Amino acid sequence: MIDLERALQELHRGGVEFIIVGGAAATIHGSARVTQDLDLVYARTPENIARLAAALAPHSPYLRGAPPGLPFRWDAETIRRGLNFTLTTTLGDLDLLGGIVGGGGYADLLSHSQVVKLSGSEYRCLGLARLIHVKRAAGRPKDLEAVAELEALQEERHDQK
Amino acid sequence: MSEPPDGSWVEPATSEADPVIDAYKKDVDRTLLRANLARTVEERIRNLARLQRFADELRRAGRDL
Repeated sequence: MIDLERALQELHRGGVEFIIVGGAAATIHGSARVTQDLDLVYARTPENIARLAAALAPHSPYLRGAPPGLPFRWDAETIRRGLNFTLTTTLGDLDLLGGIVGGGGYADLLSHSQVVKLSGSEYRCLGLARLIHVKRAAGRPKDLEAVAELEALQEERHDQK
Repeated sequence: MSEPPDGSWVEPATSEADPVIDAYKKDVDRTLLRANLARTVEERIRNLARLQRFADELRRAGRDL
């Protein structure tokens, strides 16, 4: 289980540039599904990678599902050499994504994101239309039910206008 | 996963009707969606946190069966 608000605050405080995607983004748009982790697309600039490494280091990030004791080191070099990280942290499960199928990286997604305010801070969240697009593009069977709900949400929002 | 060449992972949009998605859509409880849409973003996030804690409790209780 992820402490969503605290995880977002910690990254925000560290100056990390990221876009909320996945189930948390769906929740922000009004989804009733319960997600257990937090999926974020982070900017792959050297400066942002350094900020991400520093912001998360105090929260003991480790590869989710990996046996304990692996020589995994959370630092800028590890992030630079990798792309997508599924992590356990003391804040909860966190998926840090350099890019997503159907959406691309941070720079590609930026124009499809919108600003949301949470606890006085502003965050970028993937827009509903793009969220549907990337979930469709991912094409995983488990996403089809989520896409159905997101499309229903889109219809409900349209009806409310 | 390594970084693909520029733009190769930004797939073209598809909004074609999918019979599987359409079948799932019939079962979506829209009353829950309308209730969520009436909430602020902060309320939606806090509601999710409450549901996560409840699900966690249920899992814990299930382990004790």
